Amino acid sequence: MDALLDVRNLRVELPGSQGTVHAVRGLDFQVKRGEMLCLVGESGCGKSMTSLALMGLLPRAAVRSADRLEFDGVDLRGLSPRQMQDLRGNRMAMIFQEPMTSLNPAYTVGNQLCEALRRHRPATRAQARDRAVYLLERAGVPHAPERLRQYPHQLSGGLRQRVMIAMALMCEPSLIIADEPTTALDVTIQAQILRLIRELQTEFGTAVVFITHDLGVVARIADRVAVMYAGEIVETAPVGQLYAQPSHPYTQGLLSCIPVRGRTPPGSRLAAIPGVVPSLVDGIDGCAFRNRCAQARAACAQTPPQVACGTGHIVRCVAVSRALRETRESTV
Amino acid sequence: MTEAQDVVLELRSVSRHYPLKRGLFREPGLIKAVDDVSLRLYRGETLGLVGESGCGKSTLARMLLGLLAPTSGSVLLDGRKVDAQSRLALARRIQPIFQDPYSSLNPRKTVAQIVGLPLYLHGVGAPAERRKTVAAMLELVGLPPRMHDRYPGQLSGGQRQRVAIARALILRPSIVVCDEPTSALDVSVQAQILNLLLDLKAEMGLTYLFISHDLGVVEHLVDRVAVMRQGRIVELESRERLFAAPAHPYTRMLLASALTPEPGLGIPDITKEITA
Repeated sequence: MDALLDVRNLRVELPGSQGTVHAVRGLDFQVKRGEMLCLVGESGCGKSMTSLALMGLLPRAAVRSADRLEFDGVDLRGLSPRQMQDLRGNRMAMIFQEPMTSLNPAYTVGNQLCEALRRHRPATRAQARDRAVYLLERAGVPHAPERLRQYPHQLSGGLRQRVMIAMALMCEPSLIIADEPTTALDVTIQAQILRLIRELQTEFGTAVVFITHDLGVVARIADRVAVMYAGEIVETAPVGQLYAQPSHPYTQGLLSCIPVRGRTPPGSRLAAIPGVVPSLVDGIDGCAFRNRCAQARAACAQTPPQVACGTGHIVRCVAVSRALRETRESTV
Repeated sequence: MTEAQDVVLELRSVSRHYPLKRGLFREPGLIKAVDDVSLRLYRGETLGLVGESGCGKSTLARMLLGLLAPTSGSVLLDGRKVDAQSRLALARRIQPIFQDPYSSLNPRKTVAQIVGLPLYLHGVGAPAERRKTVAAMLELVGLPPRMHDRYPGQLSGGQRQRVAIARALILRPSIVVCDEPTSALDVSVQAQILNLLLDLKAEMGLTYLFISHDLGVVEHLVDRVAVMRQGRIVELESRERLFAAPAHPYTRMLLASALTPEPGLGIPDITKEITA
């Protein structure tokens, strides 16, 4: 497999006054060239920490470790901060949730877009400006040449996010990490921005790691999905497979929580997942979901096995592994 | 739901305008946050109010609660003008639940104190009786006794929203204005809170005004839907009809942009949807 990004046993630990928070607990995943991988999970599941760990942007106190962390053949673990800077914004770029906090309010849009290119490429001002105008137009920003002179606060939220997308594309990166890029936007704008990300991704052949909590967005945009819970990936599958046959009890629970037109009778009780997410301080033994799981059993106190239950469909669950073994034995 | 035609809350061409700052070279102008809105809320129904940010839905909610006076028009509660009634009398009839329980709960009071405060302010019952009422209400919203002495900072988002709901219902109001009550919550917790709101409505015979931008949630919960855009209500229809055959182009656009968890449908092209 031609993996652009290869991650094995990624861990992020944040030492705190009340003990160490194990925010990311052993992630394994790959991203192929030109692929859209969605990391989906609820708040505190470690999805944002994962993205920051990949970009080398973790808080200073955080400790990152991994058995493998390869991007396009480069081992990210051995890179100096300086070498990471040469990579960020160049071959890997990031789009954040709130563009107002990641755009510099003191510089014009044009200034920031051109800097993104000239930091990494030997381009003249005029070349950088031409590329900025081209990408703003591609990102659906009207009156692109005039926008270059504007400051971020003069733009609406949707336009700002379009500028961020154009900026991420300035150096034609092979990987973009998008962390909840449409969560702060209204639904009509969200649909437009998602469409734009998908179109540009196809056009430029960029791989995207798309981080979100919204299963509606995931269904429409992903090629492959990794469901995260308490710092772990509990299920990975191609998008169609995940929604047709969710196998981990957490994934099943999440999907049945959302009212869907035509499927959920209005006013009926929704299947809620009881309880709350466990604390990640001092780590967790065994399956992190077992205290909320209807299928929990004694064996769940041990580290759950990884079970392949279809092409590219991997589940971390004792119950699934048992059920699969039983069906296999009965067919033999 | 409209068969009884029992109007509990009525808006009669209510507007709320804000003057724009005048500058040397700027024309004096007005922002019409809410512009000539007439709306009736019937006893026992759930009316959904949907629209995008800045459309005036929260301004409308604040006027219903008597927290903001309309520039023109009137808000009638049981046929009486809201601004003519005292805040206390109003609070017994209509209560809010806001989006962010973090900012609407006093961090220095315990759960039991927060929920009991309205009873104290309204002089309802003796202290021992109040404690009983509070305990019963907390049980109703699903907060076990061990939570009673905790502070908001020690609770999860869902638990905090349960506290906010208990406080809103402790005076047994008949109308609850829910302003994006689950928008700050994770989906698994959102389902718990939506179930709770449905249960409480059945149990206490409540009338809800449910403000949300999430059309899936609105469709699940409400009887009628009002669609708001730029301060005006552009469409008001029963749930079945609005979702089956939206009449206004803006409603059609909103419905088209809602992303249901169905893979294979792709991302809707909004610009095409409007012209279609």
